[in-house]
Amino acid sequence: MTIKRLLAVFACASLFAPQAGAVEKIEFWTFSMKPKFTPYFNAVVARYEAQNPDVKIEWIDFPWDVIQTKLVTRIVAGTPPALVSLNVPWADEYARDGLLTQVDGLIAPARASYLPSALEDLRFKGRTYGFPMYSNVAVIAFNTAIFKQAGLARGPASLDEQLAFARQIAQRTGKAGIAPALSKIDGLFMQQGLAVITDNRAVFNSPQHVALVQKLADTYKVGGLLKESLFAEDNFPAVIDAYKGGRLGMLLAPPTAMQRIRSDAKDIYAITDVAPAPLGPTGIADGGWLVHFAIPKGVPAQLLPSVGKFARYLTNDANQLDFARQASVFPTTIRAAADPFFLATPRNAGAAEKAVAAGALSMGHSRTLYVAGIDDYDELRRSLVKAVEAGVTGKQDVKQALDQAVAIWNRKLATLPRH
Amino acid sequence: MTMKIRSRPLKTRLQRLGQSAGHYAVLCAIAVVCVFPFWWTLVTAISTEGNIFAFPPTFWPKAPSFENFIEVFNAIPIWSFFKNSVLIAAFTVFWKLLLCSLAAYPLARLKFRGRKLVFGLILATLVLPSEVNFLVNFITITQMSLVDTYTGVILPNVVTAVAILLLKQAFEEVPQDLIDAARVDGASEWVIFSRIMLPLITPWLATVGILTAVESWNEYIWPSIVMSKPDEFPLSVGVLYLRGTFGSSTRVIAAGTLITIVPTLLAFLFTQRFFMRGMDGAVK
Amino acid sequence: MKLARRHTLQAWLFLAPALLLAAFSFWPVGYGSVLAFTDYSLIRETRFVGLDNFRYIFNNEMFVSGLKNSLMFLLMVPFVQVGAITLAVLVNNRLPGIRLFRAAFYVPVVTTVSVVGIMWGFMFHEQGALNYVMMTLKLVNAPVGWLSDDSLALFAVMFVTLWRGLGWYMVMYLAALQSIPSDMQEAAMLDGASRWQRFWKITVPMLRPTIMLCSILSVLAALKAYQEVDVLTQGGPMNSTFTALYYAYDQGLKHLKLPRALAASFVVSLFCIGIALLCLRYLKPKHR
Repeated sequence: MTIKRLLAVFACASLFAPQAGAVEKIEFWTFSMKPKFTPYFNAVVARYEAQNPDVKIEWIDFPWDVIQTKLVTRIVAGTPPALVSLNVPWADEYARDGLLTQVDGLIAPARASYLPSALEDLRFKGRTYGFPMYSNVAVIAFNTAIFKQAGLARGPASLDEQLAFARQIAQRTGKAGIAPALSKIDGLFMQQGLAVITDNRAVFNSPQHVALVQKLADTYKVGGLLKESLFAEDNFPAVIDAYKGGRLGMLLAPPTAMQRIRSDAKDIYAITDVAPAPLGPTGIADGGWLVHFAIPKGVPAQLLPSVGKFARYLTNDANQLDFARQASVFPTTIRAAADPFFLATPRNAGAAEKAVAAGALSMGHSRTLYVAGIDDYDELRRSLVKAVEAGVTGKQDVKQALDQAVAIWNRKLATLPRH
Repeated sequence: MTMKIRSRPLKTRLQRLGQSAGHYAVLCAIAVVCVFPFWWTLVTAISTEGNIFAFPPTFWPKAPSFENFIEVFNAIPIWSFFKNSVLIAAFTVFWKLLLCSLAAYPLARLKFRGRKLVFGLILATLVLPSEVNFLVNFITITQMSLVDTYTGVILPNVVTAVAILLLKQAFEEVPQDLIDAARVDGASEWVIFSRIMLPLITPWLATVGILTAVESWNEYIWPSIVMSKPDEFPLSVGVLYLRGTFGSSTRVIAAGTLITIVPTLLAFLFTQRFFMRGMDGAVK
Repeated sequence: MKLARRHTLQAWLFLAPALLLAAFSFWPVGYGSVLAFTDYSLIRETRFVGLDNFRYIFNNEMFVSGLKNSLMFLLMVPFVQVGAITLAVLVNNRLPGIRLFRAAFYVPVVTTVSVVGIMWGFMFHEQGALNYVMMTLKLVNAPVGWLSDDSLALFAVMFVTLWRGLGWYMVMYLAALQSIPSDMQEAAMLDGASRWQRFWKITVPMLRPTIMLCSILSVLAALKAYQEVDVLTQGGPMNSTFTALYYAYDQGLKHLKLPRALAASFVVSLFCIGIALLCLRYLKPKHR
């Protein structure tokens, strides 16, 4: 008999679902922050809870490759976290599908403190969908020895100059001048003010686009572009290796790359100088990748003011500065980005410190460049990259290759549902 | 019938030994492929020195210690993972044995209208591609508010065709006379079931129980869909969370991996015959 | 007849919990198939959209190549079956220590797929054990990116699936081998048949039902492969290891594009049910 009773209790126990508390609880999610930033976030939470005793904050961190599935699960279940860390392409897709709450009202008290460029990144269909957290920007590092040999005195000021310098470097020194990430050619187009899609049609076979790719092809022909991994999904490892090995004249990278060069290739580091990355005609600097906090749909309306307050705290000047210093990224508030930590360069500043200063100066121009509004965009991008590869390497006429890619894109775009 | 006796030279002892040696060599080679990843993980978890991805790789532990294991316990909520795995497995086994034996009994020993239909339907689920169901089951579970609960993880797995069929076979092995005698004595079906049949098929219940426990412990996709909070993850999901968070600390990941599989391996080694018996039943 | 009716009521009471089986096995197939023809979404009213979702996925490179990859997995079936039969034959004896070998071959089956993914992630690493062995044996000159090279990754994933499955089928074949009456073998031995002849003329025909069953199960498993993809490569590199069902998982649970995910799983279901029905019709097992 006792066994039966035991079994019955056992059976009932299994039906108990873990209960959620009824106190004002705010759950916020980040990705890839543990274990390095565990102390940082724990401190932020502790400080906020001390100042706001009626609020309980729960911090959960996920690996970046699973955070999307967990978010989707919770949204479908109707119990989303109050805040979730996202990058801009993800946010674009979720906002399009109606899965994010707009935050114009909640961000209003602090709006002026954020970099306008960061806020622009988070504007979808005229509404703001997130609180900017951190971003990055590229600087251009150049090997002064190679430059001298090629007869160049200063860093390039535009893409055209980059390519021209690269050609000169190739002709006078036999080394490659620059290694653009051509797998992200769509971002390059956009930075140069050339739209990739207009009105749901692909337009990258216009004369201006063709001219740009042709310039790349010409530079490639004389050896100005680094051939290794030029079209790879991620060419950065090959590029930084080439620069460290003294085989590359210019390197376009975030300032953290300078630290790697300093530790791995001291001789190259000593002759490296740094300049802010050239802005395109759009005034956009390369290398932006904004991470922000968004509010998923389904967060109870009465909790929103609290959530907004916490979000503003999480992304205020002091916290952003603190985080950016630890993570070697850049903050997205005006004051933090202008902090002496970034801008003040010591007397004998090496490339790393100069890079940080140069980057901070460019932060106001940093935008996350991506093609918005298309599901499964990667597939399209790949056909574009293949076409550009054929054109740049000379295997196919540039206009012809781009025309073919445009045809592929338009076929796919025609089947997409309109939003 | 005349037997043709073809004269054959008797195999010498040496030839037999040679054949055995060859046999063992092949077995060893394949066993190495099967077991080496486990060995490497063990070596990595126990060593504390040396580059993990050095050429040549370490085949033997260097500076062995339990440091990495302790690190695992400190770094992630592995006790939570363990507890979740144990509880989910325990509840799954309990409910599965109960509900499947309940379903198997009438199929084995009762005559009733619709028997063939039910039997057919159960067989039909074997044909259905069940892996495909996770999407709709996920929607169902969310509509029942069972996300982040043990019940949500257990519910879809608790009644399966294989278990019902195995238990049905078990019931069929019980002599009909026992049942008839009990019926004559006026016992209700429930009494027959619980007092007579169940106790008699205990070995089969153990088999199904162990198979279920291991299957539940090892389940990965469904728990990872239902559970969204790391605290609720079972070990199988938690160990991947470990890899995602500690990507660069290979040794710690290796230690966590071992903690995950040691229970199953131990259970398996001690209960091998249950697995084999379960397979026998399935083949029939 | 009263007795039969009473049993009916009671029988159905006993069977009541089996309804759970129906709820989680049949309902998803039906409901999922219907939803595949709608634009089911959390925020809008669901509308019927006919074949739109199917048009989208068949125009989508990820799904189409995923489907092709799933069909590639079928290439493994003969290898798995032949390998499993070989293993079963090799361990079907009473040599000392044979139980240890049986256990060793079965261990990959009882290891959770996430751990399998982690361990083989280590093995396939550029500086991992596999590359070391291949370079020492001079089979390759430089480290191979098993999981990072988009022309190799799928085969790496397939290999892991094979590694996991061999032991399971081996046990099935072992059980079948052990149920072959030994007098036939003995009679053949006395007749002077060689081991090879005995194998092909006696063993294999008696294994036929098991071979049929295992092959069908293997084919179905190949079409439904996606867990190994999730733990090893997450569909990469460059979407080369997508399978049809992984596409469904990715679209449904990462991007919440449920109608497309359901359309994809509908396609997979069609394949599976189709093959299963074909097999049941033409290969009715001789003994039940």
